Amino acid sequence: MAAVGIGHSPTFRRWDGTPENSVGGISLKALRRAIQDAGANPADIDGLVMDPSTTTGAFWPQGKPLPWDAINAYNRTDDPLDGITGLSADWILANMLELSGIGFTMYGVGCMSNAICVAAQAIGDGRAHTCLVLKSWHNLEGRYYQGGANAGNAIPGSSAIRSLWGTPACFGTAVQFAEYCRKYGKSHDMMAPFIENSRKNGLKFPEGYWAQHRPEEITPEDYAAARWIAKPANLFDNDMPIMVSAAYLFTTAERARHLKQKPVYILNHATSRTRPRGLTPTLDEVEEDTARTARKIYEGAGITANDLSFENMYDGFALFHQFHIEGLGYRGLKFGEALDFYQTDISISGPNPVSPSGGNIGCGRSRFWMHTDCIQQIQQRAGERQVTGVKPEVAVSGGPMPVGGNYMVWSATPD
Amino acid sequence: MILISFDIDGTLEEGDPPGILTIEFVREAKKGGFLVGSCSDRPISAQRAMWKRHGIDVDFAVSKHMLGDVKSRFAADVYYHIGDREDLDKRPAEQAGFEFLWPHEALEKPWG
Repeated sequence: MAAVGIGHSPTFRRWDGTPENSVGGISLKALRRAIQDAGANPADIDGLVMDPSTTTGAFWPQGKPLPWDAINAYNRTDDPLDGITGLSADWILANMLELSGIGFTMYGVGCMSNAICVAAQAIGDGRAHTCLVLKSWHNLEGRYYQGGANAGNAIPGSSAIRSLWGTPACFGTAVQFAEYCRKYGKSHDMMAPFIENSRKNGLKFPEGYWAQHRPEEITPEDYAAARWIAKPANLFDNDMPIMVSAAYLFTTAERARHLKQKPVYILNHATSRTRPRGLTPTLDEVEEDTARTARKIYEGAGITANDLSFENMYDGFALFHQFHIEGLGYRGLKFGEALDFYQTDISISGPNPVSPSGGNIGCGRSRFWMHTDCIQQIQQRAGERQVTGVKPEVAVSGGPMPVGGNYMVWSATPD
Repeated sequence: MILISFDIDGTLEEGDPPGILTIEFVREAKKGGFLVGSCSDRPISAQRAMWKRHGIDVDFAVSKHMLGDVKSRFAADVYYHIGDREDLDKRPAEQAGFEFLWPHEALEKPWG
Protein backbone atom coordinates (compact mmCIF):
# COMPACT_ATOMS: atom_id res chain seq x y z
CA MET A 1 0.00 0.00 0.00
CA ALA A 2 1.04 3.60 -0.38
CA ALA A 3 0.64 7.08 1.03
CA VAL A 4 -0.84 9.41 -1.57
CA GLY A 5 -2.01 12.50 0.32
CA ILE A 6 -0.96 14.71 3.20
CA GLY A 7 -3.04 17.30 5.02
CA HIS A 8 -1.98 19.47 7.93
CA SER A 9 -3.97 22.00 9.92
CA PRO A 10 -2.45 25.27 11.06
CA THR A 11 -0.79 25.08 14.49
CA PHE A 12 -1.65 26.98 17.66
CA ARG A 13 -0.12 27.03 21.08
CA ARG A 14 -3.55 26.75 22.71
CA TRP A 15 -7.20 26.69 21.64
CA ASP A 16 -8.59 30.20 21.15
CA GLY A 17 -12.18 29.12 21.76
CA THR A 18 -13.34 29.44 18.16
CA PRO A 19 -15.18 26.56 16.47
CA GLU A 20 -12.84 26.50 13.45
CA ASN A 21 -9.77 26.13 15.66
CA SER A 22 -11.25 23.49 17.95
CA VAL A 23 -9.68 20.08 17.68
CA GLY A 24 -12.67 18.98 15.62
CA GLY A 25 -12.39 22.01 13.35
CA ILE A 26 -8.69 21.57 12.66
CA SER A 27 -9.20 17.84 12.08
CA LEU A 28 -11.75 18.51 9.35
CA LYS A 29 -9.28 20.91 7.76
CA ALA A 30 -6.45 18.36 7.81
CA LEU A 31 -8.63 15.57 6.43
CA ARG A 32 -9.95 17.70 3.56
CA ARG A 33 -6.46 18.90 2.73
CA ALA A 34 -5.20 15.29 2.56
CA ILE A 35 -8.00 14.33 0.20
CA GLN A 36 -7.37 17.38 -1.95
CA ASP A 37 -3.61 16.78 -1.94
CA ALA A 38 -4.16 13.29 -3.28
CA GLY A 39 -6.68 14.45 -5.86
CA ALA A 40 -9.07 11.80 -4.58
CA ASN A 41 -12.85 11.73 -4.70
CA PRO A 42 -14.11 11.74 -1.08
CA ALA A 43 -16.85 9.29 -2.03
CA ASP A 44 -14.19 6.75 -3.07
CA ILE A 45 -12.70 6.63 0.43
CA ASP A 46 -13.87 3.59 2.37
CA GLY A 47 -11.74 3.64 5.54
CA LEU A 48 -11.00 5.93 8.48
CA VAL A 49 -8.38 5.19 11.14
CA MET A 50 -7.76 7.70 13.90
CA ASP A 51 -6.80 8.21 17.52
CA PRO A 52 -9.80 9.28 19.64
CA SER A 53 -7.56 10.77 22.32
CA THR A 54 -6.38 14.29 21.54
CA THR A 55 -5.05 15.49 24.86
CA THR A 56 -1.54 16.80 25.33
CA GLY A 57 -2.16 16.53 29.06
CA ALA A 58 -4.85 19.21 29.08
CA PHE A 59 -8.37 18.30 30.19
CA TRP A 60 -11.58 20.34 30.34
CA PRO A 61 -11.55 21.79 33.88
CA GLN A 62 -14.20 20.42 36.20
CA GLY A 63 -16.96 22.95 36.74
CA LYS A 64 -15.94 25.18 33.84
CA PRO A 65 -18.94 25.95 31.60
CA LEU A 66 -18.90 23.98 28.38
CA PRO A 67 -18.08 25.91 25.18
CA TRP A 68 -21.52 25.56 23.66
CA ASP A 69 -20.89 27.97 20.77
CA ALA A 70 -18.09 25.73 19.51
CA ILE A 71 -19.94 22.52 20.34
CA ASN A 72 -23.08 23.57 18.51
CA ALA A 73 -21.20 24.86 15.49
CA TYR A 74 -20.88 21.24 14.36
CA ASN A 75 -23.04 18.15 14.23
CA ARG A 76 -22.43 16.70 17.68
CA THR A 77 -22.45 13.27 19.28
CA ASP A 78 -23.73 12.27 22.73
CA ASP A 79 -20.51 13.55 24.31
CA PRO A 80 -20.56 17.38 24.21
CA LEU A 81 -16.76 17.51 24.45
CA ASP A 82 -16.39 15.32 21.35
CA GLY A 83 -14.54 17.61 18.95
CA ILE A 84 -13.26 19.76 21.83
CA THR A 85 -11.15 17.53 24.09
CA GLY A 86 -11.48 14.27 22.21
CA LEU A 87 -12.53 13.06 18.82
CA SER A 88 -14.63 10.10 17.74
CA ALA A 89 -15.02 8.62 14.30
CA ASP A 90 -18.75 9.29 14.65
CA TRP A 91 -18.04 13.01 15.09
CA ILE A 92 -15.83 13.10 12.00
CA LEU A 93 -18.35 11.26 9.86
CA ALA A 94 -21.20 13.44 11.12
CA ASN A 95 -19.29 16.49 9.96
CA MET A 96 -17.83 15.19 6.70
CA LEU A 97 -20.89 14.12 4.80
CA GLU A 98 -18.79 13.94 1.65
CA LEU A 99 -17.26 10.74 3.08
CA SER A 100 -20.27 8.77 1.92
CA GLY A 101 -18.44 5.50 1.23
CA ILE A 102 -16.85 4.76 4.62
CA GLY A 103 -17.34 1.10 5.52
CA PHE A 104 -14.41 0.62 7.87
CA THR A 105 -13.42 2.64 10.93
CA MET A 106 -10.91 1.70 13.58
CA TYR A 107 -9.00 3.47 16.33
CA GLY A 108 -5.23 3.45 16.38
CA VAL A 109 -4.75 4.62 19.92
CA GLY A 110 -1.75 6.54 21.18
CA CYS A 111 -0.31 8.41 18.28
CA MET A 112 -0.04 8.64 14.52
CA SER A 113 2.55 5.87 14.44
CA ASN A 114 0.00 3.37 15.71
CA ALA A 115 -2.76 4.75 13.49
CA ILE A 116 -0.50 4.32 10.44
CA CYS A 117 0.20 0.70 11.37
CA VAL A 118 -3.52 0.01 11.81
CA ALA A 119 -4.39 1.65 8.49
CA ALA A 120 -1.57 -0.09 6.62
CA GLN A 121 -2.63 -3.45 8.01
CA ALA A 122 -6.29 -2.76 7.23
CA ILE A 123 -5.49 -2.08 3.59
CA GLY A 124 -3.14 -5.07 3.47
CA ASP A 125 -5.90 -7.27 4.84
CA GLY A 126 -8.43 -5.92 2.35
CA ARG A 127 -10.65 -4.32 5.00
CA ALA A 128 -10.42 -1.00 3.18
CA HIS A 129 -8.87 0.05 -0.11
CA THR A 130 -8.55 3.81 0.47
CA CYS A 131 -8.16 4.95 4.02
CA LEU A 132 -7.82 8.27 5.81
CA VAL A 133 -5.49 8.28 8.81
CA LEU A 134 -5.90 11.05 11.37
CA LYS A 135 -4.16 12.26 14.49
CA SER A 136 -5.10 15.50 16.26
CA TRP A 137 -4.01 17.25 19.41
CA HIS A 138 -5.74 19.84 21.56
CA ASN A 139 -4.13 22.11 24.10
CA LEU A 140 -6.02 24.37 26.49
CA GLU A 141 -5.02 27.36 28.57
CA GLY A 142 -3.12 26.73 31.78
CA ARG A 143 -0.65 24.06 32.73
CA TYR A 144 -0.84 20.55 31.35
CA TYR A 145 -0.59 17.26 33.26
CA GLN A 146 -2.38 19.03 36.12
CA GLY A 147 -5.91 17.87 35.30
CA GLY A 148 -7.54 14.56 34.48
CA ALA A 149 -6.41 11.65 36.63
CA ASN A 150 -3.60 13.73 38.08
CA ALA A 151 -6.14 16.03 39.76
CA GLY A 152 -7.90 13.17 41.53
CA ASN A 153 -7.41 11.75 45.00
CA ALA A 154 -6.69 8.27 43.68
CA ILE A 155 -4.84 7.08 40.59
CA PRO A 156 -5.23 3.55 39.25
CA GLY A 157 -2.47 1.19 38.16
CA SER A 158 1.26 1.86 38.12
CA SER A 159 0.56 5.57 37.64
CA ALA A 160 -0.23 5.56 41.36
CA ILE A 161 3.47 5.10 41.98
CA ARG A 162 4.86 7.19 39.13
CA SER A 163 2.53 10.17 39.47
CA LEU A 164 2.24 10.12 43.23
CA TRP A 165 5.83 11.23 43.63
CA GLY A 166 5.48 13.91 41.02
CA THR A 167 8.26 13.16 38.59
CA PRO A 168 8.02 15.05 35.31
CA ALA A 169 7.22 13.08 32.19
CA CYS A 170 10.83 13.08 30.99
CA PHE A 171 12.13 11.56 34.21
CA GLY A 172 12.39 7.99 32.91
CA THR A 173 14.26 9.06 29.81
CA ALA A 174 16.54 11.25 31.93
CA VAL A 175 17.42 8.26 34.10
CA GLN A 176 18.21 6.17 31.02
CA PHE A 177 20.28 8.97 29.52
CA ALA A 178 22.24 9.45 32.75
CA GLU A 179 23.12 5.76 32.71
CA TYR A 180 23.99 6.00 29.01
CA CYS A 181 26.44 8.82 29.73
CA ARG A 182 27.97 6.89 32.61
CA LYS A 183 28.27 3.65 30.64
CA TYR A 184 29.77 5.16 27.51
CA GLY A 185 31.62 8.17 28.95
CA LYS A 186 29.43 10.77 27.21
CA SER A 187 27.97 14.05 28.40
CA HIS A 188 24.76 16.02 28.02
CA ASP A 189 26.43 18.86 26.10
CA MET A 190 27.15 16.37 23.29
CA MET A 191 23.41 16.57 22.51
CA ALA A 192 23.70 20.22 21.46
CA PRO A 193 24.35 19.57 17.74
CA PHE A 194 21.30 17.31 17.57
CA ILE A 195 19.08 19.94 19.19
CA GLU A 196 20.48 22.70 16.98
CA ASN A 197 20.04 20.58 13.86
CA SER A 198 16.50 19.57 14.80
CA ARG A 199 15.34 23.12 15.32
CA LYS A 200 17.05 24.24 12.10
CA ASN A 201 15.22 21.52 10.20
CA GLY A 202 11.97 22.38 11.97
CA LEU A 203 12.23 26.00 10.95
CA LYS A 204 12.25 24.73 7.35
CA PHE A 205 8.99 22.86 7.97
CA PRO A 206 6.26 25.38 7.09
CA GLU A 207 3.58 23.20 8.70
CA GLY A 208 5.33 23.31 12.07
CA TYR A 209 4.64 25.47 15.11
CA TRP A 210 8.06 27.09 15.45
CA ALA A 211 8.22 27.97 11.75
CA GLN A 212 4.72 29.45 11.87
CA HIS A 213 4.85 31.34 15.15
CA ARG A 214 8.27 31.69 16.70
CA PRO A 215 11.17 31.21 14.29
CA GLU A 216 13.75 30.74 17.03
CA GLU A 217 16.88 28.68 16.63
CA ILE A 218 18.43 26.88 19.58
CA THR A 219 22.17 27.47 19.65
CA PRO A 220 24.61 25.38 21.71
CA GLU A 221 24.82 28.36 24.10
CA ASP A 222 21.02 28.40 24.46
CA TYR A 223 21.01 24.67 25.10
CA ALA A 224 23.75 24.85 27.70
CA ALA A 225 21.95 27.67 29.52
CA ALA A 226 18.54 26.01 29.70
CA ARG A 227 17.17 25.00 33.08
CA TRP A 228 16.89 21.38 34.10
CA ILE A 229 13.50 19.72 34.06
CA ALA A 230 14.79 16.39 35.37
CA LYS A 231 18.58 16.52 35.27
CA PRO A 232 20.12 15.57 32.85
CA ALA A 233 17.03 16.47 30.79
CA ASN A 234 16.70 20.20 30.27
CA LEU A 235 13.94 22.39 28.91
CA PHE A 236 14.97 21.99 25.27
CA ASP A 237 15.15 18.22 25.55
CA ASN A 238 11.38 18.41 25.99
CA ASP A 239 8.84 19.21 23.30
CA MET A 240 6.15 21.86 23.59
CA PRO A 241 2.45 20.91 23.49
CA ILE A 242 0.47 22.55 20.71
CA MET A 243 -2.81 22.23 18.86
CA VAL A 244 -2.39 20.57 15.49
CA SER A 245 -3.90 17.92 13.27
CA ALA A 246 -2.51 15.84 10.41
CA ALA A 247 -4.12 13.40 8.05
CA TYR A 248 -2.80 11.05 5.41
CA LEU A 249 -4.57 9.22 2.65
CA PHE A 250 -3.43 5.65 2.10
CA THR A 251 -4.53 3.36 -0.69
CA THR A 252 -3.49 0.22 -2.51
CA ALA A 253 -0.46 0.33 -4.78
CA GLU A 254 -2.72 -0.21 -7.75
CA ARG A 255 -5.08 2.68 -6.93
CA ALA A 256 -2.17 4.92 -5.97
CA ARG A 257 -0.97 4.92 -9.55
CA HIS A 258 -4.06 6.85 -10.63
CA LEU A 259 -3.85 9.64 -8.04
CA LYS A 260 -2.14 13.01 -8.17
CA GLN A 261 0.98 12.53 -6.04
CA LYS A 262 3.87 10.16 -6.40
CA PRO A 263 3.01 7.13 -4.21
CA VAL A 264 5.22 6.44 -1.22
CA TYR A 265 5.03 2.78 -0.38
CA ILE A 266 5.01 1.29 3.10
CA LEU A 267 7.28 -1.73 2.93
CA ASN A 268 6.65 -2.83 6.51
CA HIS A 269 5.35 -1.86 9.88
CA ALA A 270 6.57 -3.18 13.21
CA THR A 271 5.53 -2.82 16.81
CA SER A 272 7.22 -3.00 20.19
CA ARG A 273 4.99 -3.88 23.12
CA THR A 274 7.77 -5.08 25.41
CA ARG A 275 6.94 -4.90 29.11
CA PRO A 276 9.88 -3.68 31.15
CA ARG A 277 10.58 -5.34 34.48
CA GLY A 278 10.08 -2.09 36.38
CA LEU A 279 8.24 1.18 36.01
CA THR A 280 11.04 2.65 33.93
CA PRO A 281 12.95 0.48 31.45
CA THR A 282 16.63 0.17 32.24
CA LEU A 283 19.22 1.13 29.64
CA ASP A 284 19.91 -2.57 29.05
CA GLU A 285 16.22 -3.18 28.37
CA VAL A 286 16.09 -0.17 26.03
CA GLU A 287 19.05 -1.37 24.00
CA GLU A 288 17.76 -4.93 23.85
CA ASP A 289 14.36 -3.72 22.64
CA THR A 290 15.55 -1.22 20.05
CA ALA A 291 17.76 -3.92 18.56
CA ARG A 292 14.80 -6.32 18.50
CA THR A 293 12.59 -3.67 16.87
CA ALA A 294 15.23 -3.01 14.23
CA ARG A 295 15.40 -6.70 13.37
CA LYS A 296 11.62 -6.74 12.92
CA ILE A 297 11.69 -3.56 10.83
CA TYR A 298 14.42 -4.80 8.49
CA GLU A 299 13.24 -8.39 8.19
CA GLY A 300 9.68 -7.42 7.34
CA ALA A 301 10.76 -4.82 4.80
CA GLY A 302 13.43 -7.04 3.28
CA ILE A 303 16.09 -4.38 3.72
CA THR A 304 19.19 -3.73 5.81
CA ALA A 305 20.45 -0.65 7.60
CA ASN A 306 22.54 0.10 4.52
CA ASP A 307 19.37 0.70 2.51
CA LEU A 308 18.22 3.64 4.65
CA SER A 309 18.53 6.99 2.89
CA PHE A 310 17.76 8.80 6.15
CA GLU A 311 16.03 8.26 9.46
CA ASN A 312 13.14 10.04 11.15
CA MET A 313 12.77 8.27 14.46
CA TYR A 314 10.90 9.98 17.27
CA ASP A 315 12.50 12.65 19.43
CA GLY A 316 10.00 13.93 21.93
CA PHE A 317 12.14 13.52 24.36
CA ALA A 318 15.32 14.39 22.54
CA LEU A 319 17.40 12.28 24.91
CA PHE A 320 16.05 9.01 23.52
CA HIS A 321 16.56 9.66 19.83
CA GLN A 322 20.01 8.05 20.01
CA PHE A 323 18.50 4.88 21.49
CA HIS A 324 16.31 4.54 18.40
CA ILE A 325 19.06 5.09 15.85
CA GLU A 326 21.66 2.98 17.64
CA GLY A 327 19.16 0.12 17.74
CA LEU A 328 18.65 0.58 14.01
CA GLY A 329 22.39 0.60 13.40
CA TYR A 330 21.82 3.69 11.29
CA ARG A 331 25.03 4.36 9.32
CA GLY A 332 26.67 1.50 11.17
CA LEU A 333 26.16 3.00 14.62
CA LYS A 334 26.71 0.75 17.59
CA PHE A 335 25.42 1.34 21.11
CA GLY A 336 27.15 4.29 22.71
CA GLU A 337 28.25 5.90 19.43
CA ALA A 338 25.40 8.24 18.52
CA LEU A 339 26.53 11.25 20.50
CA ASP A 340 29.91 11.17 18.75
CA PHE A 341 28.00 10.80 15.48
CA TYR A 342 26.09 13.99 16.37
CA GLN A 343 29.38 15.88 16.33
CA THR A 344 29.74 15.10 12.58
CA ASP A 345 27.65 16.45 9.69
CA ILE A 346 24.08 15.30 10.43
CA SER A 347 22.45 18.04 8.36
CA ILE A 348 20.02 17.62 5.49
CA SER A 349 22.78 18.51 3.05
CA GLY A 350 25.21 15.89 4.30
CA PRO A 351 25.51 12.15 3.70
CA ASN A 352 24.04 11.19 7.08
CA PRO A 353 20.83 13.17 7.71
CA VAL A 354 19.50 12.82 11.24
CA SER A 355 15.84 13.68 11.85
CA PRO A 356 15.39 15.82 8.73
CA SER A 357 11.83 16.57 9.85
CA GLY A 358 13.16 18.36 12.90
CA GLY A 359 10.75 16.21 14.87
CA ASN A 360 8.92 17.48 17.92
CA ILE A 361 11.95 19.52 18.96
CA GLY A 362 11.86 21.38 15.67
CA CYS A 363 8.11 21.63 15.11
CA GLY A 364 6.18 21.12 18.38
CA ARG A 365 4.52 18.12 19.98
CA SER A 366 2.63 16.08 17.41
CA ARG A 367 4.49 12.80 16.96
CA PHE A 368 3.80 12.97 13.23
CA TRP A 369 6.29 15.37 11.64
CA MET A 370 8.60 12.41 11.07
CA HIS A 371 6.02 10.58 8.97
CA THR A 372 5.05 13.61 6.90
CA ASP A 373 8.71 14.30 6.29
CA CYS A 374 9.43 10.76 5.09
CA ILE A 375 6.59 11.01 2.59
CA GLN A 376 7.52 14.51 1.43
CA GLN A 377 11.24 13.71 1.15
CA ILE A 378 10.60 10.64 -0.99
CA GLN A 379 8.15 12.61 -3.11
CA GLN A 380 10.76 15.37 -3.43
CA ARG A 381 8.22 17.78 -1.89
CA ALA A 382 10.12 18.74 1.27
CA GLY A 383 11.01 22.19 -0.07
CA GLU A 384 13.83 23.90 1.82
CA ARG A 385 14.07 20.82 4.01
CA GLN A 386 14.74 18.47 1.10
CA VAL A 387 17.72 16.23 1.75
CA THR A 388 20.44 16.87 -0.78
CA GLY A 389 23.33 14.72 0.42
CA VAL A 390 21.48 11.46 -0.21
CA LYS A 391 18.94 10.22 -2.72
CA PRO A 392 15.66 9.86 -0.76
CA GLU A 393 14.53 6.32 -1.55
CA VAL A 394 14.02 4.40 1.70
CA ALA A 395 13.33 5.88 5.12
CA VAL A 396 12.26 4.76 8.56
CA SER A 397 10.11 6.58 11.09
CA GLY A 398 8.25 5.75 14.25
CA GLY A 399 7.89 5.95 17.96
CA PRO A 400 7.10 7.16 20.44
CA MET A 401 9.18 5.31 23.00
CA PRO A 402 12.23 3.17 22.36
CA VAL A 403 10.42 0.52 24.43
CA GLY A 404 6.84 0.66 23.24
CA GLY A 405 6.06 2.08 19.84
CA ASN A 406 5.16 1.57 16.21
CA TYR A 407 7.51 1.94 13.27
CA MET A 408 7.31 1.94 9.51
CA VAL A 409 9.52 1.76 6.43
CA TRP A 410 8.72 4.12 3.56
CA SER A 411 9.97 3.57 0.02
CA ALA A 412 9.96 5.18 -3.41
CA THR A 413 9.33 1.78 -4.92
CA PRO A 414 6.94 -1.00 -3.92
CA ASP A 415 9.61 -3.69 -3.51
CA MET B 1 19.92 52.08 40.98
CA ILE B 2 16.95 49.84 40.17
CA LEU B 3 17.23 46.64 38.17
CA ILE B 4 14.14 45.18 36.49
CA SER B 5 14.03 41.67 35.05
CA PHE B 6 11.14 40.92 32.69
CA ASP B 7 9.65 37.53 32.02
CA ILE B 8 8.38 37.37 28.41
CA ASP B 9 5.63 34.79 27.86
CA GLY B 10 2.45 35.81 29.65
CA THR B 11 4.10 39.03 30.82
CA LEU B 12 5.12 41.16 27.83
CA GLU B 13 2.89 41.96 24.87
CA GLU B 14 5.39 40.02 22.73
CA GLY B 15 4.80 36.93 24.83
CA ASP B 16 3.11 33.67 23.94
CA PRO B 17 0.50 34.19 25.37
CA PRO B 18 0.73 37.97 25.22
CA GLY B 19 0.95 39.77 28.55
CA ILE B 20 -0.17 43.25 29.52
CA LEU B 21 3.22 44.96 29.70
CA THR B 22 4.15 46.79 26.54
CA ILE B 23 7.57 47.00 24.94
CA GLU B 24 7.18 50.73 25.41
CA PHE B 25 7.05 50.14 29.16
CA VAL B 26 10.46 48.45 28.96
CA ARG B 27 11.82 51.18 26.71
CA GLU B 28 10.72 53.84 29.21
CA ALA B 29 12.38 51.95 32.07
CA LYS B 30 15.62 51.84 30.11
CA LYS B 31 15.34 55.52 29.27
CA GLY B 32 14.72 56.21 32.95
CA GLY B 33 18.17 54.88 33.76
CA PHE B 34 17.13 51.51 35.15
CA LEU B 35 19.08 48.35 34.49
CA VAL B 36 16.68 46.22 32.43
CA GLY B 37 16.72 42.80 30.84
CA SER B 38 14.79 39.58 30.33
CA CYS B 39 14.70 36.34 32.23
CA SER B 40 12.70 33.82 30.26
CA ASP B 41 12.45 30.21 29.13
CA ARG B 42 12.95 31.42 25.59
CA PRO B 43 16.39 30.69 24.12
CA ILE B 44 18.82 33.42 25.08
CA SER B 45 19.57 34.05 21.41
CA ALA B 46 15.83 34.55 20.77
CA GLN B 47 15.57 36.98 23.69
CA ARG B 48 18.48 39.01 22.33
CA ALA B 49 16.95 38.97 18.85
CA MET B 50 13.65 40.25 20.24
CA TRP B 51 15.29 43.18 22.02
CA LYS B 52 17.39 43.99 18.97
CA ARG B 53 14.24 44.01 16.83
CA HIS B 54 12.78 46.62 19.15
CA GLY B 55 15.97 48.63 19.35
CA ILE B 56 16.31 48.23 23.11
CA ASP B 57 19.85 47.71 24.36
CA VAL B 58 19.11 45.52 27.38
CA ASP B 59 21.65 44.91 30.09
CA PHE B 60 21.03 41.16 30.28
CA ALA B 61 19.08 38.30 28.71
CA VAL B 62 19.16 35.09 30.68
CA SER B 63 17.38 31.80 31.23
CA LYS B 64 14.71 31.40 33.87
CA HIS B 65 16.92 29.99 36.57
CA MET B 66 19.69 32.58 36.27
CA LEU B 67 18.37 35.48 38.33
CA GLY B 68 21.03 34.79 40.94
CA ASP B 69 23.71 35.32 38.29
CA VAL B 70 22.10 38.61 37.30
CA LYS B 71 22.19 39.77 40.88
CA SER B 72 25.86 38.94 41.22
CA ARG B 73 26.72 40.69 37.93
CA PHE B 74 24.95 43.99 38.56
CA ALA B 75 25.11 46.23 41.61
CA ALA B 76 21.71 47.77 42.32
CA ASP B 77 19.81 49.06 45.31
CA VAL B 78 16.77 47.01 44.51
CA TYR B 79 16.12 44.10 42.16
CA TYR B 80 12.70 43.41 40.67
CA HIS B 81 11.49 40.48 38.61
CA ILE B 82 8.14 40.83 36.84
CA GLY B 83 6.43 37.63 35.78
CA ASP B 84 3.17 35.72 35.54
CA ARG B 85 3.89 32.39 37.19
CA GLU B 86 4.01 31.48 40.87
CA ASP B 87 6.31 28.51 40.33
CA LEU B 88 8.55 29.80 37.55
CA ASP B 89 8.71 33.52 38.37
CA LYS B 90 7.66 34.44 41.90
CA ARG B 91 9.34 31.63 43.82
CA PRO B 92 12.72 31.70 42.02
CA ALA B 93 12.76 35.50 42.11
CA GLU B 94 12.29 35.56 45.85
CA GLN B 95 14.87 32.80 46.30
CA ALA B 96 17.36 34.89 44.33
CA GLY B 97 16.71 37.93 46.51
CA PHE B 98 14.55 39.80 44.03
CA GLU B 99 11.34 41.58 44.80
CA PHE B 100 8.56 40.11 42.73
CA LEU B 101 5.79 41.95 40.89
CA TRP B 102 2.89 40.56 38.90
CA PRO B 103 2.47 42.46 35.59
CA HIS B 104 -0.53 44.44 36.83
CA GLU B 105 1.42 45.45 39.93
CA ALA B 106 4.26 46.67 37.74
CA LEU B 107 1.80 48.84 35.83
CA GLU B 108 0.34 50.30 38.99
CA LYS B 109 3.66 50.98 40.70
CA PRO B 110 4.90 54.58 40.62
CA TRP B 111 8.39 54.03 39.18
CA GLY B 112 9.48 57.65 39.13
